[in-house]
Amino acid sequence: MQMIVKLAIAAVFLGVTAVGGLSAADIQGSVVIKRKLTKRRVTASVSAYERGVTVKLDTGPDTDSLAFERTRVAVYLEGQFQSQPATAALEQKNRQFVTDTLVVPAGSTVSFPNRDPIFHNVLSLSKPKTFDLGNYPKDHTRTVNFPKPGIVFVNCHLHPNMTAAIVVAPNQWCTKADGAGRFALTDVPPGAYTLVAWHRAAGFFRQTVKVAKDHASPVEFIIPLDETGDAKVVAQR
Amino acid sequence: MRFATRTFLWSFIPFVVLLLGSFWAIQKLVEHTVRDGLRTSLRQTHVSMARVRANSELQNSRFLKILGENASLKAGLQLLLAAPRNGDARRTVEDQLREICAKLGFDFLLVSSPDGVALAGVMRVGEQLVGMDIARLRPPQQGFTTIGERSYQVASTPIDQGDENIGTLSVGEPFDFTAFTTPAVLARRGKVLKSSIPGIPLEEVEIALKPCRERAECEVRLRGETYISLPMDSISFGEGYVLRSLQSIDAASGPVQGILRNVFGIAGFGALLATAIVTILSSQSIVRPIRAVVEHLKKSEGTGLLPEFQAKPARIQEIRELAESFNRAASAIREARANLHRAYVEFVGSLASALDARDRYTAGHSRRVSELSWSIGRAMELAPQELDVIRIGALLHDIGKIGIGDGVLQKPGKLTNEEFALIQQHPTIGRRILEGVHGFEDYLSIVELHHENWNGTGYPWGLRGEAAPLAARIVHVADAYDAMTSDRPYRRGMSLEQAIRVLRQYAGTQFDPDIVPLFASLMAFTQEPSSSAGAHAGPSRVHVLPNVVNEANEAI
Repeated sequence: MQMIVKLAIAAVFLGVTAVGGLSAADIQGSVVIKRKLTKRRVTASVSAYERGVTVKLDTGPDTDSLAFERTRVAVYLEGQFQSQPATAALEQKNRQFVTDTLVVPAGSTVSFPNRDPIFHNVLSLSKPKTFDLGNYPKDHTRTVNFPKPGIVFVNCHLHPNMTAAIVVAPNQWCTKADGAGRFALTDVPPGAYTLVAWHRAAGFFRQTVKVAKDHASPVEFIIPLDETGDAKVVAQR
Repeated sequence: MRFATRTFLWSFIPFVVLLLGSFWAIQKLVEHTVRDGLRTSLRQTHVSMARVRANSELQNSRFLKILGENASLKAGLQLLLAAPRNGDARRTVEDQLREICAKLGFDFLLVSSPDGVALAGVMRVGEQLVGMDIARLRPPQQGFTTIGERSYQVASTPIDQGDENIGTLSVGEPFDFTAFTTPAVLARRGKVLKSSIPGIPLEEVEIALKPCRERAECEVRLRGETYISLPMDSISFGEGYVLRSLQSIDAASGPVQGILRNVFGIAGFGALLATAIVTILSSQSIVRPIRAVVEHLKKSEGTGLLPEFQAKPARIQEIRELAESFNRAASAIREARANLHRAYVEFVGSLASALDARDRYTAGHSRRVSELSWSIGRAMELAPQELDVIRIGALLHDIGKIGIGDGVLQKPGKLTNEEFALIQQHPTIGRRILEGVHGFEDYLSIVELHHENWNGTGYPWGLRGEAAPLAARIVHVADAYDAMTSDRPYRRGMSLEQAIRVLRQYAGTQFDPDIVPLFASLMAFTQEPSSSAGAHAGPSRVHVLPNVVNEANEAI
């Protein structure tokens, strides 16, 4: 563990010194999660409640839970490089934020449309961006701009179980892993970078990546968890 | 009623009444004690149950307070307060309530504004939690409410935001009778809503509970059983709702009473049996001597005799005294009767003597005939009673001659046919005289028939042989003998031998052939010591039988 911390410190240092080149390469990588990290909360759809059906909570969905965990891993390059702001939507549906982990480059605008026939309230008390959009009913939406990088946790005042994380990456090279754990950052200029993987429960994992002209060596993140389901390494946010 | 029965009943019935009365009293006392004990234990159960319930109420209220501090619910409520008519807002809160319900298992949840207006609520219908029609249903914030068929117990807690009250959260759970160890009844203003007494319809319970005052202990009769009912006033149920516990005293005291009944039944039966036996024995000991006395008296009634008690003296003093005084009275009566009889006989005897005395020749005739007849009877070994009859009958045999004038009776010479016919009437006259005298019935035959002959030539009826009674036949012989041996104005009396000879001669014609030889041997035997005592010494002949006379007199 100590060694990993040392490595992480070295990576931060290296990341700062990285310089973008003219030609670019794709960083290919994969995330390995062998154990289920979080209990996936299940809520019945609002319409199901409307019909009065009681849904047993805490039962997992039919989907592969490890695949679900892999999709919750955000991957980005550290460093204030060029950023191309984007727009994204974080829907509120069936008393959940969809999706629960959103990755956007800094400066992006995120809309929060309410798709439930009930009021929702979107708020955040996170440092990079604090906001409270108030209560608004179905098919109404509000938008928020995220200029600063960081991780913004979003909640609903009316539904304490609703939560989502918006990973505001410092540059345009940011993505999420797919169900198989694969991810790719395209057109990365040659140089030495620190590649960061973040999982809501497991925290930050960093690796140094050297990008040569037209080539980058593949990266593998192993996100370890002990018996209790906690991540072994939880780096600072 | 018989004395025995009466004695038995008079001692048995009070005994039975006393026994049954005391058993009844004891049974009642025990029953009362059992009931009292039961009532006390019921009350204690009741109190402890109420305490437990109050405790759980307190826990519930704490729990509710925490529920009231739910931040998201507060946010929802504020949203709803800001837009009370917004369907989405109401749905939002309903949705929140549903989630709480689903998690915590309430049957309904309701939020209302600070002024008590219901804003949103959900309730369980079957497996589903549906939105409550708050416009129609207005459940109270505390106590009981009945929605449809079900009764709910409702509790509420305020929802505060800072110092400001923004509403009330009410939770309802179905009222559960199983929490009560005793059967209970839930009523509202006299109407029974719910009862956990199995098998008895609510209406019946309601009627039985009518006399009970709202919040007082009372005893009710239900299907022949007595129940004690206590109101659970330690639990507040709100508007007019009363929860009463009902416990059957009979069911609880039944086993004890059953045992008591058995014990008393066996003991009572035993005691009654013992009483019956003792009573029968004691009444018998009283009745038996009395019955003996009664039987003795009955016997006396039948015979006319009053014999003394020969039985051993009774153990009961009163009975003994009764027997003794009866004996005394009997002997007094017997004596009086004997005296009376003797007086009669003496009177009649003196009458006969007076008759005899009309003529010196016949003086002493009746007495002599009496003595001779008695001697014959004794020689024939007749019974003393018969001898008595013969003696007195012989004394009276010529009493009829009173009715015949001296002119005929004392006529010296031969009698004419008419005179003789007159003389022949004296037996009939004698009978008629004595017929009227009570107690002389036995002598009538002697008086009437002492002139009947063995061959039927006698008078007044001409009876033959044994048709005339033995006593009359004996007197006939003795009379003839004395007449023959007595002097007459016109002749001297015959000698004894001559007279016997005559008698022998006419035995079988005039006289009974059996009596004559007997008489003859009797006279011969008495004559022996003075064989030549003379033919005419009639009176002297009487003297040869002094002991006979004396005996006869004593016998009277």
